[in-house]
Amino acid sequence: MPKAIHQGLIHDLQKNLMSHYYEKLTRAAETRQEKSAWMLISGNPVELVRAFGFLPVYPEVNALQLGVRKQALPFILKAEERGYSMDNCAYVKADVGLYFSGLKAPFATIPEPSLILCNYVGCGVYLQWFEHLAEYTNAPIFNLDIPTVRPSASEGLQGKTQAGTAADHSNAADQRYVMRQLEELIAVCERITHRDFDEAKLRRIMEFSRETGELWAQIKAMTRTVPSPFDAFFDAVTMMGPLYCLRGTEECLDFFRAVHREMTERVEQRICPLEEERFRIVIEGPPPWPFLRTFRDLFSKWGAVAVASTYSTVGGLWEFGFRHDPDRPLESISEHMLQYNLTNRSFLQRYEQIRRYITEWNADALIIHSVKSCRLFSAGQGDMREYFSKELGIPTLLVESDLEDPRYFSEAQMRNRVDAFFESLAHRKSVRDREAGTC
Amino acid sequence: MRVADPVQEAKDLSETPVGRVIESWKSAHPGAKAVGWFPVFSPIELTHAAGMLPISIAGGGNQMEIAHADSRFQSFVCSIIKSTLELGLTGQLENLDGMIFHSICDPAKNLTSVFKRNFPRLMVDFIHFTQNFASPVAEEYLAAEYGRVRTRLAELAGTEITDGQIRSSIATYNRVRERVRRLQGIRLNGRNQLSAAETAALLRAGGRMMPEDFLTLLDDALRVISSRPGKARDLVHVVLEGSFCEQPPLELIQSIEEAGCSILEDDFELGFRWFKGDISTEGDPLRALAHAYIDGSVHSAVKHDLRYRKAAPLVEKVRRTGAQAVVVLTAKFCEPALFDYALYREALEENNIPHVLVEFEEKMWAFDKIRSEIETFVESMMFD
Amino acid sequence: MLITAGVDVGSTQTKAVLIDDSRAIRASAIIDTGGHISKAAERVFDEVLSTGGLCRKDVSCVVGTGYGRFKVQFGDIQITEISCHAKGAVFLFPGTRTVIDMGGQDAKGIRVGLNGEVDDFVMNDKCAAGTGRFLSNASETLNLTLDAVGELSLRAERPVRLSTVCSVFVESDIMAYLAQGKKVEDILAGVNSAIAARTIALVRRVGIVPEVTFTGGVSRNIGMIRALETKLGMPLNVSPQSQLVGALGAALWAMEHAESAVRS
Repeated sequence: MPKAIHQGLIHDLQKNLMSHYYEKLTRAAETRQEKSAWMLISGNPVELVRAFGFLPVYPEVNALQLGVRKQALPFILKAEERGYSMDNCAYVKADVGLYFSGLKAPFATIPEPSLILCNYVGCGVYLQWFEHLAEYTNAPIFNLDIPTVRPSASEGLQGKTQAGTAADHSNAADQRYVMRQLEELIAVCERITHRDFDEAKLRRIMEFSRETGELWAQIKAMTRTVPSPFDAFFDAVTMMGPLYCLRGTEECLDFFRAVHREMTERVEQRICPLEEERFRIVIEGPPPWPFLRTFRDLFSKWGAVAVASTYSTVGGLWEFGFRHDPDRPLESISEHMLQYNLTNRSFLQRYEQIRRYITEWNADALIIHSVKSCRLFSAGQGDMREYFSKELGIPTLLVESDLEDPRYFSEAQMRNRVDAFFESLAHRKSVRDREAGTC
Repeated sequence: MRVADPVQEAKDLSETPVGRVIESWKSAHPGAKAVGWFPVFSPIELTHAAGMLPISIAGGGNQMEIAHADSRFQSFVCSIIKSTLELGLTGQLENLDGMIFHSICDPAKNLTSVFKRNFPRLMVDFIHFTQNFASPVAEEYLAAEYGRVRTRLAELAGTEITDGQIRSSIATYNRVRERVRRLQGIRLNGRNQLSAAETAALLRAGGRMMPEDFLTLLDDALRVISSRPGKARDLVHVVLEGSFCEQPPLELIQSIEEAGCSILEDDFELGFRWFKGDISTEGDPLRALAHAYIDGSVHSAVKHDLRYRKAAPLVEKVRRTGAQAVVVLTAKFCEPALFDYALYREALEENNIPHVLVEFEEKMWAFDKIRSEIETFVESMMFD
Repeated sequence: MLITAGVDVGSTQTKAVLIDDSRAIRASAIIDTGGHISKAAERVFDEVLSTGGLCRKDVSCVVGTGYGRFKVQFGDIQITEISCHAKGAVFLFPGTRTVIDMGGQDAKGIRVGLNGEVDDFVMNDKCAAGTGRFLSNASETLNLTLDAVGELSLRAERPVRLSTVCSVFVESDIMAYLAQGKKVEDILAGVNSAIAARTIALVRRVGIVPEVTFTGGVSRNIGMIRALETKLGMPLNVSPQSQLVGALGAALWAMEHAESAVRS
């Protein structure tokens, strides 16, 4: 059975960076010398908290690390013992379980928060998660309220196929509200760190982020080539670690320079992550972290490479033009949070994003991975399937599991569906090829 | 007109399919429009000010089979999301002109998009309520948000919505809210004149009529109810919490009461009890509405007001009403309610307040299981 | 003459079919799967060969299908039962455009092309609500065998309405109805109707285009056939060999493979 071959340097580099990051967290937890800010991934203002010297900590990434190492279940169960439901998001449960295990993960110790910064960017669970953490830790909490993108006036009367165009908007009042909250946040950070806001420092950090974003956008455009130089789902998640945990630093920028070099070479030499690229797919939804390898192999077996994925845009939509701007630091941070990340956009805008991926990245099919934990991602994906398969005629497969809870993954069921889907795609492709050959 | 039994009238209306309610209202008001609002709370003053019917669209209850919507929303999504979509997919919202959703949870956010795609004829909007209650600019933001919605509603109505009209709508709804508070007061007088199921029926009916008609209904109901003899009964006094969005069938509420609970306070149909007092009818009405949301509204799972601890209002409610216990009744798969439970449980245990957790679905038909759970709980309280 | 075989290893039963290149069924066999999947595949293959009076070397190609398809160690190719059911259903009923398949764990809807190729398919989500599992839990609660359920349910006069299609909670619903003195046939009809509604909702995702062919173990339940037909408003194709459709489809895929190998 063909499996994904080794992806080159970037995976080793990433591993080093991430273990270095977790060593730093462990050291901070042990020495208690550094201030830490707990934040969420989607559209966060890490640049701003970095300017105050906070060490950014991401409960989502901690939960993810537990998941990918197959260590999440005991933590999830610990939270369920405290009254969390089977039906609550398992990221939250793993993280709550971790808190009540003294913040000692098998791979690191997490420092207690000096600030809980709830960047509420579309995901309602974020609000609850951080509200709970604030009650447990008694740390100061700031809800950075980001108005979600609402359907616009002009769009309401358009036809069915007009799925979420750019007309979905967030308005000037939203921008003003977020800017003012950022100013309030600055005051909170000053109070906690006893430091004055250093705008010059913020601009330097923003410059790192700007360049990183530029490289990342270029890297993501490379998967438009045939064959794709990397898998825009399975390999993209590798790159997302540094992008989110380390953005705004020189080491993050260096990492992306290395990735860019490597991927450029792969494009030139037509190197593909599989022996042969038989199908180009778009994947919607987060990965099943505890079964990442198994899940990847289901697609590799068929020569299917993801050329684009929505999950890789949860933290920002650089590939559609966003850049941090050192000359307008707070403005561009608020634009990032309001408009340029997947989670704060409407579900219809996601349809449109996927539609663009399928057309512009030249994909054969859409795979929707529906995860129970994250209803922001998944609720309504049946309608999405309907839109793509019936209205646009794109072969679409919906499979279900979870991003964190290993109890929701059934390999046999999943394999059956994936195999049936590609059997039918392969059959159609062979008929097409045969017809093309006889003409 | 004198109504023989306003409570029965309310029950009947609340169980009439919503499509029929809109249809008959529209045939009585030719040319007028109807705008739906999804739970938990909506500033329906704006719709009313435009002369349109604000109608609560909150799922399909247990009268409807979900045959289409569960292909759009997965099995782990709560019922109200699916049954509300089912109403649309089965043509029951054909007479509706607009639909407003709110930032209460993630499925509701996505349902907004699904509505927009599937029913392009409808004006669909989404109100993002502030979640930073501590910010000095939150009120300004929320007033601007209401202003945006006012513009869209005015477009739909084909008329301007003036400040004066909104102020007068606020005044009308203030009168409604005052009567709803009186209704609540009766529940606390210890004479068992009014049940929670009846209160819920009255409020459900209120979501399906103009406030002027609701006022008449409430006045009739208050007169009838306060003349009931009533009597003290040996029941366990409870506060019920957690059913703020999807609504249980009235029979389920009855079953809980029949199992031996006197429900002193609950959060059914929370939208009509959103504010603690009157909203100001002076000055900028949008600012007044926004101000009331931020500083004058009751606790709810869908508000994340960090100025108090999440379980504090529940504990306070138990103390204030003199309840002996709490029934946490959550809709299956309702993430906000299920998350809150973890914090409620801790606080209730700390304060030595007994509680029981029960899950329901709006489409339930058989209540024996829940009834026996509650009975067991009541027994444990009685023999303690 | 070419001979090919299809072996369908399901969770409860393992089935095999032999066909020849005139597409005639030469033999078929059904056995209980039991605990050892590879052995079951061996046994059923031996049985179908002896029924057909053939030996292994006569068979040009074997396709394994079903959940245990990778355990068919003598198989040449593995194909999912979705592709095989589509192929088999169109072979038995050439007008088939939609296949409804109800097995123990899964319910599926398949939209098929003229040659039995899969155009689109859906399966029940993680939740087992509305599958054969629900039916067997219900019949167990009522102390009935699965086979008795269909006939009995046809005698219903006032079918009950179930408040859930959850295979875990169905038990307490049924107990409640029994306590209320409802008749067993009325409860069964309610069960069939609830599953039929849920299945149709599922199959709608691929679009229901006539003719509709009903396959899988549950298609032996006449009550379910009637419930689906009533709700769909159209008749269903149901073959007396409906349990064999997967194995038959596998044998047909094997034949296409063998024929193209001969050509090249």
